[in-house]
This record gives sequence, C-alpha cells and structure tokens, in this order.
Amino acid sequence: MNNAPMIEAAGLSKRYEDGVLALDNVSFAVRPGEVYAMLGGNGAGKTTTINLFLNFIEPTAGEARIDGIVTHRDPLAAKANVAYVSENVMLYPNFTAMQNLEYFTRLARRPAPTREALRQALLRTGLAEEAHHKRLRGFSKGMRQKCGIAIAIMKNAPAILLDEPTSGLDPKAGFEFIALLKSLRDEGKAVLMSTHDIFRAKEAADTVGIMNRGTLVMQRSARELAGEDLERVYMEHIAGHNGLAA
Amino acid sequence: MFGTVLVKELKAVLLTPKFPATFAVCSILIVLSVFIGIREYRTAAARYTEGVDLAAQTLRTQSTWMNLSTTAYRKPDPMQVFVPGVTGDVGRLSSVNSTEDVKLRNSAYGDDPIFALFRSIDFAFIVQVVLSLFAILFTYDAINGEREGGTLQLTFAGAVPRPTYILAKLAGAWTALVVPLLVPVLLGLLLVMVYGVPLGSEGWARCAMFMLASLLYFTFFIALGVLISALTRSPATSFLGALAAWVVLVLIVPRIAVMAAGAAHPVPSIAETEGWIDAFAKDRWDQQMKTLSTRWQARQASMEGMSTGEREAYQQSKQQEWANDDDASRQEVQKDIDAYRVRVNEEQANRVAAQEGLAFALARVSPAAAYQIASMRLGGTGVEMKALNESAMRDYRRAFTQYTAGKQKESGTQGGFRITVDSQTGFHFSAPRERGTLDVSDVPVFRPPSKRFGEDTASALVDTGIIAVLVLLSCAGAFVAFMRYDVR
Amino acid sequence: MLMLVIQKELRDILTSTKFIVSFASCSLLILLAFVMGAAGYRTEVARVDAARRENLKQMEGQTDWMMVRNNRIFLPPQPLAALVTGVADDIGRTMDVRGRGEIPQEDTRYGEEPVFAMFRFLDLEFIFQVVLSLFAIVFAFDAVSGEKERGTLRLSFANPLPRSTFMAGKLAGSFLALAVPLLLPILIGCAVFTWMGVPLSSDEWMRLALIIGAGLLYFGAFLTIGITISAVTARSSTSFLALLVIWILSVLIIPRSAILIAGRAVDVPSLDDINAKKFRYAEQLFAEDRTAMSAFSPAEKSDPRKMIEEFQKFMGNVNDARERKMDDFSSRLNEERANAQQVQSAVALGIARISPATCFTLAASALAGTSLALQDRYLAQAKGYQETFAKFILGKTGVNPGGGMVFRMRVGDGAQEKPIDTHELPVFEYRPPVLGDVLPAALPDAGILAACIFLFFGIAHAAFRRYDLR
Repeated sequence: MNNAPMIEAAGLSKRYEDGVLALDNVSFAVRPGEVYAMLGGNGAGKTTTINLFLNFIEPTAGEARIDGIVTHRDPLAAKANVAYVSENVMLYPNFTAMQNLEYFTRLARRPAPTREALRQALLRTGLAEEAHHKRLRGFSKGMRQKCGIAIAIMKNAPAILLDEPTSGLDPKAGFEFIALLKSLRDEGKAVLMSTHDIFRAKEAADTVGIMNRGTLVMQRSARELAGEDLERVYMEHIAGHNGLAA
Repeated sequence: MFGTVLVKELKAVLLTPKFPATFAVCSILIVLSVFIGIREYRTAAARYTEGVDLAAQTLRTQSTWMNLSTTAYRKPDPMQVFVPGVTGDVGRLSSVNSTEDVKLRNSAYGDDPIFALFRSIDFAFIVQVVLSLFAILFTYDAINGEREGGTLQLTFAGAVPRPTYILAKLAGAWTALVVPLLVPVLLGLLLVMVYGVPLGSEGWARCAMFMLASLLYFTFFIALGVLISALTRSPATSFLGALAAWVVLVLIVPRIAVMAAGAAHPVPSIAETEGWIDAFAKDRWDQQMKTLSTRWQARQASMEGMSTGEREAYQQSKQQEWANDDDASRQEVQKDIDAYRVRVNEEQANRVAAQEGLAFALARVSPAAAYQIASMRLGGTGVEMKALNESAMRDYRRAFTQYTAGKQKESGTQGGFRITVDSQTGFHFSAPRERGTLDVSDVPVFRPPSKRFGEDTASALVDTGIIAVLVLLSCAGAFVAFMRYDVR
Repeated sequence: MLMLVIQKELRDILTSTKFIVSFASCSLLILLAFVMGAAGYRTEVARVDAARRENLKQMEGQTDWMMVRNNRIFLPPQPLAALVTGVADDIGRTMDVRGRGEIPQEDTRYGEEPVFAMFRFLDLEFIFQVVLSLFAIVFAFDAVSGEKERGTLRLSFANPLPRSTFMAGKLAGSFLALAVPLLLPILIGCAVFTWMGVPLSSDEWMRLALIIGAGLLYFGAFLTIGITISAVTARSSTSFLALLVIWILSVLIIPRSAILIAGRAVDVPSLDDINAKKFRYAEQLFAEDRTAMSAFSPAEKSDPRKMIEEFQKFMGNVNDARERKMDDFSSRLNEERANAQQVQSAVALGIARISPATCFTLAASALAGTSLALQDRYLAQAKGYQETFAKFILGKTGVNPGGGMVFRMRVGDGAQEKPIDTHELPVFEYRPPVLGDVLPAALPDAGILAACIFLFFGIAHAAFRRYDLR
C-alpha cells in the first residue's frame, strides 16, 4: 500500500488581517488507514487548520496538502479527494435525509447514486429507516450528524476531515460513532479529527496531536500513549505553556 | 423589576447595529419630507397669489358688465406641508360668471401630469408607510427572538412576573423608538418656522393633533410587532407574518375598500349630470325662444297700420319696456335652470357623500386608512375640501352676479349687442359698450372658506380614537398571548 | 453541476412554507387586481355610455344643425388602463369640441371623485411594483447568507464546486422558482379578465404580455440585487435590513423625490398665466370683431333672410380670421409650455430612472397607453375630430360658427320643422395606441431593467468570489 501521507500540513502558518497569528509553523501527516486526533482548547487553531485544508482560507506560509495536492494552488482537485463533516451539521431543513444525501453526493461529482446505495449509507451510520424520508427540520443533533457522516461515506474520498464530531452526542451515539470511525479507518481512509473529547480521542486515535495557541506542542502515537493518562498529558502541555501551575 | 427590564429593553433596541442605520434613514426621510412639503406649499402659494393677481388684472381689462367673468382660486393651506392630501387632484380654480356653474378645474396634477406619476412625498406618507415598517422591523422578534436566544428562559428562571415583563417590553420598545424620532420631527417643525410657513395658532393646534395621531399610529405598529412576536415561535415566521400584516393593512385594505365602495355605490359622472343640466337648459331656452317669438309677433302686430315715423316713435317709446320684459323673462329662465342645477348638484353631493361614507367605513378597518382620514381632516386637505370650496365659490358667484346685474342696471346699457334686421330699414348692428374699461374697484372679492376647526377636530378624533382602540387591542393581545407563551 | 445546483434551489424554495404562504398571497393579490380592474372597467364604460347618451339627448328636438354648436367627447376607458392606471385618472376625460378654437378639457377622475385620489387603485402595476419586489426581497435576502448560517455553504464547498457555478445556479434557480409560478395566477387573471367581459384586441394582448414581461424583468432586477446584497453580508439580518432600506428608497422615495426636486427645478410657464394671456387676447380680438360687425353693410337690403344669410357668411369670415390669429397666438404659447414640459420630463424622469421602480412604471404605462403621452394623444385625436366636426357642420349649415354667435331666423310660427337626426353626427372614436407606437417609448426603460439584471449578475459573481465561506 502506498504510504505517502494523505493529509499533510507542511510548515502551515496563518496570520489573519487583524494581526492574530492563528497557526504558527504547524506540520503533521496523516496516512491512509490512520486516525489523527487533534486535541486543543477553543481558539487553539484546530478549526483554522481544517479551514486551510478546505481552502476556505489561504495560508500565509507553508502548505496544506491532500493526497499530495496543495489545496490553495489546486483547490478543486484537492476537494475532490476530501470529505468533510462540520461540527454542527445543519443541511437543508426542507429536504429529507435522502434528498440531502443525494444532492451532496452528486455535488461531489460522484456518479448519480442509486436509491439503495443512499439507503445503505444512512443505515451504516445508524440512522433508523423511518427517518430516511423525514425532513431534516425535526432531526436531533445526533441524527443530523449521522446524515453528515453518510454524506462523507457516499463521497468515498480517501481523506476525511471531522470537526468536533462527538460534541453534544450522548454516550451511546458517541460509542456508535467511534465504531463507525474505526471501520472507515480500516477501509483505508485517512481521518483528521479535531476534538476536545479526550476520552473518545484515546479510543479512536492512532496518533494524537495537541494544539495550543496555534502551535503543535505535542504529537504522540497511540502506542506511546498507551499506559498514560491522556488527560494529564493534555493538561501538562496546555497548562505548561499557559504558565499555569501544573 | 419593571425598571430593570425597561432599561434592558431600551439598551437592547438602541445598541443593536440596526438601530443607527434605521434611525438615520428615518430621520433623513422625515426631514426630507418636511422640506419637500414646505417647497411644494410655497410653489402652490406662489401660484395662488399669481392667479389671484391675474384674475384681478383680467377683471380690469373687461369692457362690459353683461358677460363679466372672473376666476376664484382655492387657497392652499399651510397644513399642506405635512399632509397634502388631495390638494393636487382637486381643481385649483373656477370661473365665476353669470352663465356657467362653479366647477373646480385645473388641478395641479391635471396641469402637470408628470407629478401625478408618483405623487408626493410628505410627512404623513413617511409616517404611514416608512415608520410603520421600521416599527415592525424592531419589534417582530421582541419575544421569540429572546426565546430563540435562550434569554427568555433564563429571565423566567428568575422571579419575573409575566405581566411586568411584557409591559416593560412594550414600554421599552416604545421609548427606544419614539424618543429618538422626536429629534427629526422637531427639526422638521423648526424648518417650518424658519421658512415662515404661516400656520397660525389654529394651524399649530391642528399640527399638534396631527402629531398625536402620528404617534398613536406608530405605537400601533410597535404593539402589533410585539403581538405577532408573542404568537409565534421563530422570528423568521413572525417577521413574514408582520410584513404580510403591514402589506395588507397599509397598502391593500384602503384601496380595496374604496374600490368596493365605488362598485357598491356607483355615482353618475359629472359628464352625465352636466348632460342632464344642459338638456334641461336647452329645453327651457327653446321654450323661451318660442315665447319670445310669439311676443315679438304680438309687438309687430301692435304696430300694424302705423306709418314709418309713427312706428319709429312707437318703438322708441316702447324700447325700454320691451327690453325690460325680455330681460325679465330671460332672468326667469336662468332662475329655473339654476334651481334645477342646484337640485341636481345636491342629489349628486348626497350620492358622493354616501359613497365616501361607505369607502371610509370599510377602510377604517386599517389603521393606515384611519390615520390618513384623520390627518387629511386635520390638514383640511381631504375630500371635504372640494365641497367646502365649491360651496363657498357658489356663494361668491351669487354675490358676484348680483353685483354685475346691479352695475348693469346702473349703467343702463344692456351690454352684448343688438342686431336689427328689417326689410325696410335694413341691417343695423350696435354694441353699446362702456367707454374704456369698467370701474371694478368695489367688486366683491372671493374670500376662501374658513376651515371648521371644531368639526375637523371632532371628525379626526373619531379616527384617532379608532387607532387608539387598535393600539389597546394589540397591547391587550400581546399581553394575553405572552401569558400563555412557552418560554423554552 | 449547474443543473444540480438549480434543481436544489428549485426544490428548496418550492417546498418551503415561506414560499407557499407568500406565493398564495401574491396570487390572491394578482387575481384581485384583475377582478377589480375588470369591474372598474365595466362601471366606467357604463358611465361613459350614459354621458354620451345625455350628450346626444340635449341635441334631440333641435330642428337646425346650426344650434348644435358643440359636441362633448369623452375619453373612453381603456382595458389596459384598468390594469396599469398610469396617469389616466389625472387627465381630463371630457372635451367640449366646437367647430374651431381650443378645446377645453375637464373632469379628471381624481378631481371628480377625490376619495379615489385618497386611496387610489389596486392595479396590476401596483402589485408588481410594490408587492412583487417585496416578494423578491423576502427570498433573496438570505440566499447566500442563509446558506452560510445553515452550514450548507461550507458543506457544498468542501466539494469541487466552482464559486461561479454556485452563484449562477442560485440566481437562475431562484428566478425560475419564484417567477415562473407567478405566471399561473397571471394567466388565470387574464382569463378572468376576459370572462368578466373586458374586450382585448390582439394588439392589446401583445401589449399586456409585454407589460407582464416588464414586470418579470423588474422582479428579476430586485431578485438579483437582493442576492448580490446577500453575497456581501455574513448575516441574514444585516442583508435583510439593507434590502429593506434599498426597497424603501427605490420604490417609495427616489421616484417621488427625484421628480419633485428635479421637476420643480425646471421652469415651466404656468397654465394660469397662459390662460390669462389667451383670455385677454381673445377679448381684444372680440373688440375688433365688434368694430367690424358695426361696419357691416349688406348688399341686398330688402330681404331679411338674404341679409341674415349674408351676415352669417360675413361672420364666418370674421370668425375664420379671428381663429387664425387666436390659433397663432395660442399655439405659440402652448408650444413654449410643451417644450418646457419636455425638458422637465427628460430631467426629472431621467434622474428618477435610478430606481428600477421608475423604469418599470414608465415601461408599463407606456405599453398600456397610460403614460404622459396619453394626454398628447387624446388632444391630437380631439383636434382631428374637431376638423371632422367642423366639416360636418359646414356641410349641414354652410357656416362654421365654432361655438360663437349664431343667428337663426324663425320662419312663420311653429311650422313643423323636422328635428335633426343626432345619429348623423360624427362619433368620436378614440384610437388607442398600437404596439408599434408604444414600443419605442417602453424599450429604453425595459432595457435599463435588463441592464440592471446583467450588472448585478456580474457584481454578485464578483462579490461571491471574495465571500468568506466559513
């Protein structure tokens, strides 16, 4: 299997117009079949990183690459290879789950999906069949998130970006999500997941990176972290840099 | 508690980013409308003065009492500055003479139809259409916006009684929206004083009542917004609902009401009624012709057998008597025609009043119509202006024709001209005229009718009362709706 | 991909409650406009017929055509005027035509019935101008900002979707979803209009189709402007406020202010002044006539009838000469005024055309034949009728007194003279304009609307290129 990085940040920096340095020389790589959990507090730079991979903003230095394609140079080609699930999946409230899924799948330039394929994708996420033809307006957060993941599944892109996927999910939904995530990883997808859910990160991640104030302050593989208390590690790295007492 | 919520509400409205923008727009529009109103009034007043002068001049250039004709002008009212009403649509002047009836013609829009395309922008219009929309813009999410934002739930997790809250909401929104608008309004009034618009004490009293009506109207829409907000769960819904209500109340209902009244109570056109009068007149004149002809033949017969000299002498002696007889019967015909005309006009006026009454009654469902009716009444620029002026001009016409008839008798000349055609004496033409022009220094001058303050105020009070009732109803509605509102 | 986005837009709009409610309301109003227009038209036709009958009635029983000194003509109601009022209700509808001279014009609809001036009419043009533009804004304001707030914008652009495709799809999809359904109530309205007995010639149908086309252009302009504003604001509430302000300025404020301010800036001689001048000149001419009349001496002094006839001919000549002088004088004054009004209208309307509402009103009223040109057209046709009428009277009586003095001799007493047949009198038929007449006037304004759409189409694309998708 080709082990070239699928999702790669190379010296990625972003300074906004108002002078704020959101990202400072961040580098990491996510290979196919790997789940990379990016931990960090609010404002640490996680969302900025994801936005750079989606070319919603452009880096002031460095490169964000999807499958070797530099996103800010060839955004359309890069986007063809990445699937995205935002933190709060909203979609079109007047459309049913099926209709939303169909639209976004076709937008991904995949061949027109069959009814059955859509149904299977929704079922795989755990969305009950009765809900497939209901309008999104009445969906709970968990149900909507399942739709978002179904969209990512249908896109079948080699890279998947997840922004705070487990926030607001009840324990059961969280558990189901992690199981699904692992199955996607086993299919060979490269997954970049930004989160501050330490528990789920420990469960699912192959690599854990900790972001603080725009810098990647720590990166360890799951093996290396096996025996440790990830929460304590996290607090050390965040607190240390904040100057708070350990 | 009331105070706290009130202050919070004030800040909530005043500190939103939309407030400065909308306040700026409203202020500019208010001042602009007053400014334009002042200019339009001065144009109309200048035209009026010019017209009156022209009429006086023209009067002095005429040379015979018989067909003496002048023009009476409708005086523009200073309240036009705020409420032009129908002053542009109703005629500005009428001919005044012995043969034609009074009819207002040459409306401003008729003379210059370019201004009729879009009509005027005046203070009453800004209040009626623009300010009401802005009131809704601020209050449509008064309740459900807080619900969506979660602050409603938080508030009622504390010990705030619901009545206090809703009253403070209403009061706060009202204060936050009304008080700032006082600035441009006062600016506008200042402009009126600076430009020397002659309102007079009665005018200022009317203006004050007009401002009160405007305030009530604005308040209604504030209350309406809050009411709709308390009836719906999401601001998106209430906003559309409020907008729809605005369109229906301000734009649709008044027009439909008037069209329905027009269909239910059709009134014969002036062309038709004038046709009746003309037909009657032609009939009477025809009769008169016959009478004259018979009389003439009798006179000829009475001169049978006379010699040329005797005939001439006889005609000389009888001339005055015959002239007076002819004149008397002509005047009687004129009297008959005038009486008929008065009857027709009266019936027409009754029909028109019935139609207008129906139109207003139907339209008053909408506060916009009630406001319009009240403001036009206070401004003296509503539908009653036409009837008031025409009746005053008719009175004037009577005085004027009496004057000319008197002068005619005094001067002894019959005016017009006389043609005698006789197989013996041939053709004679004479047109006795005054030497030079007439002395019209003592001619009666048309005094514009004075507005009836009491009547106008009473009538405006009815419509203002309707708006006040609507305000109370919507406040009560908001109250009741909020009592049962699900704050989660 | 463009088709995909358009389909999405269509479905999103058409299935929303907002659309169902707004569309139902607009349809109701459109139908109402057609129904009330038809009812109003029928009432007006009845009134004009009644007036015409009265007019003829007063001539019946006359035994001599010479006593028919004038004929009243009326501007009949036009079917299209029921839908696009324009200035039709501000123009004097009754004209008193004599054999010669100026034609006094009276009885404007609003002057006659000021209650209609107070509230005016709910015509199709009003629905288009005011309600449809609001309808457009209500959907356009959150076209882009709404998708951003919903998060679907981010999701869409996580895919290889070019920004221009998205914007083009948004614009096209919104227009199709909103404008095409409106054709339904419009067509139903047209059917109802005919069914209620309003006769439309094929030329008028064409013009109505173009009026509706202009309305759709106007709608498209507001939709495009709305979507553009949505593409420069991040929050829907901001774009809504901005659009509301734009709507108020365009529809309510600019047309009126521009015309009032610019129109008054141009000096147009007042009608009062001109009428006073004409009156005094006429007095002067009448004085001269009287001198001429006293100097008259008939050739045949023995036969009264021959003398009267000769006198009539003499008066005819005197009248002709006087009329020529009066015409020269009047037309000079009238032309001056007309020229000044042209300048005024060019300046005032030119500035007012900043607002699409002005362009639409001008285009629609031009097509309906109720623009400012109506006045000139009516007057010109009335003058033409005056010539017909004069020739007719001349043919019947040998003189054209033009409403002036008339001399008749009664022969004998009561010998049965035959009453005139009033049906011989030439009838005034108002010829409404045809498409060829009005198109040159309407095209520029429609063109401005189309240009507006193109312009904002481009601006929307450019603005969206720099839109923050996050």
